[in-house]
Amino acid sequence: MTEQYFSGLRIELFLTMLILALLVGKVLAIKQNPIGTLTLISVFLISSIGISFMQNESGYLFGTMFRTNSTILFEKAILLAGTFIVFMLGFEWMKKQKHFLEFCMLLLSTLLGMCFMISSGNFLMFFLGLELATIPLAALASFDLDEKKSSEAGMKLILSSAFASAILLFGISFIYGTTGSVSFDTIASAIDGNNVQKFGFICILTGFAFKISAVPFHFWTADVYEGAPVAITSYLSVVSKGAAIFVLMPVLYHAFGRMSSTYIPALILLSTVTIITGNLFALRQKSMKRFLAFSTVTQAGYLLLGITGNNTEAGASVVYFMLIYIFSNLGAFTVVSILQNRTGRDDIGVYKGLYKTNPTLSMVLLLALFSLAGIPPAAGFFGKLFLLSSAAGAGYYVAVIIASVNMVVSLYYYLNIVKMMFVDEPEITIEKLKPAVTEQISLFICCCGILVIGFIPAIYEYIYNLSAAI
Amino acid sequence: MMTKIIRTFVPDMGYASLILLMFCGLIFAVGAILVSRLVSPYKPGKVKSEPYECGIETEGPSWVQFNVGYYLFALIFLVFDVEVVFLFPWAVVLREMGITAFIEIIIFVSILFLGLVYAWRKGALKWV
Repeated sequence: MTEQYFSGLRIELFLTMLILALLVGKVLAIKQNPIGTLTLISVFLISSIGISFMQNESGYLFGTMFRTNSTILFEKAILLAGTFIVFMLGFEWMKKQKHFLEFCMLLLSTLLGMCFMISSGNFLMFFLGLELATIPLAALASFDLDEKKSSEAGMKLILSSAFASAILLFGISFIYGTTGSVSFDTIASAIDGNNVQKFGFICILTGFAFKISAVPFHFWTADVYEGAPVAITSYLSVVSKGAAIFVLMPVLYHAFGRMSSTYIPALILLSTVTIITGNLFALRQKSMKRFLAFSTVTQAGYLLLGITGNNTEAGASVVYFMLIYIFSNLGAFTVVSILQNRTGRDDIGVYKGLYKTNPTLSMVLLLALFSLAGIPPAAGFFGKLFLLSSAAGAGYYVAVIIASVNMVVSLYYYLNIVKMMFVDEPEITIEKLKPAVTEQISLFICCCGILVIGFIPAIYEYIYNLSAAI
Repeated sequence: MMTKIIRTFVPDMGYASLILLMFCGLIFAVGAILVSRLVSPYKPGKVKSEPYECGIETEGPSWVQFNVGYYLFALIFLVFDVEVVFLFPWAVVLREMGITAFIEIIIFVSILFLGLVYAWRKGALKWV
């Protein structure tokens, strides 16, 4: 009985222990030791990834509060890997902060919240996890005390998430009022899709759309991404979004399974609008972080389209895409982080003629952008392919065609950056930059991920079997 | 008898009654303000248009500096507030659950205690 709890909660226990160890260290230590702390965090994160692949019994803990199975553990491993890369890419900036340990604690707390969120079998647990994941993020976004834009980002993030949380809770209250339960299982059997439940569902979907920045609810994205420190921007765009997508799937398939005639048109509409608007806004951005923000908005649209497919294919393709997306997006963000740290600028002009001075960095960025755009040798192509074929498999051809046309449009702005790096003359002179060791690790992992994942079909099969086993 | 009478006059509207309730609430709130605006005589005076504070005449300007440091005390208070909320149900079931519950609450309280020590180390307990 007790072993079952320890094995089900092992990743959460690991993270809690790590956070408490950092807190004790902060209380006891006189001087902070960034390198030692980073080593400790890396060891914990990597071993957590390791233990997430250990043998696992699927089932519920604490009544229906906490749900665990192999897919959920794999999703957690993806989030842990993303957080590890974020620590690597942002370390050069983090170690200069006066409150370095607090930064690590808050970042790991949000990760803990996300782990509870994707494991939830109950709307209450889900909401608690969501809040634990959101509130520290606002503090992290405003971490750069000297930057006015950073405080603005924190303020915008906390206000818009509070608003989204309120709408989400409003929706949950309607579902609770009509089905008499907050547990996904009971809701699944009690729901009948009447108008009140439809209204509640739309409110819940709105809350999710805020989190993954789907289009009518994306207004906070660009400002927060631009103002927040690069490490937090990358964390928001990858890990936070991934957690929201991962938890959206069980909520839709499991709790609202009988309402698929309601949620599928809503998702298709949302995804089409998101893809088109994200593309149009990305065309005109002058700041690299804003550009990547709208690129993430567009990717969220593809993810939403993938979700509409048949449950098993959709689940597998979304998890697979997130795995690839973590490497591609974090690869791009590592280069942005290096350039912003050294030059203090993040406008697109910095990237003009980058190939002449920094060939390695521009090759990595080229690879990451190819993967984001979905050009074949890079893994992003396979991710998008499976997402679109999942939606096509369920017969939503019009949405798939719109998405494919938009992929061509998105080629223009991704390749525009590539053209600037390789063809244009430099606007400012940048000397040859030498990335720090942590940044090199991040660049290496991301490159490997982008190049390798697409060519190993076993990875997709593994994820597919996990999703099919549920 | 009573329910039967009500049933004959008020049809069962299902969930539409929720929306009706919402509108009634809205009309009630807006109506009260509108009616008082329409009916009441309008004679503003210097004393009258001052914002109501506590009934006593206001003194001095309202733009004074006050110590923001109080939020720290509110935060630390919250730590103990939450602790008590969890301690009460724990105390009720302690005899039945035995040693497990005892160990769990020790862990819980020590985590909160760490928070207090952190605040103390940060100098948040000093009166500024």
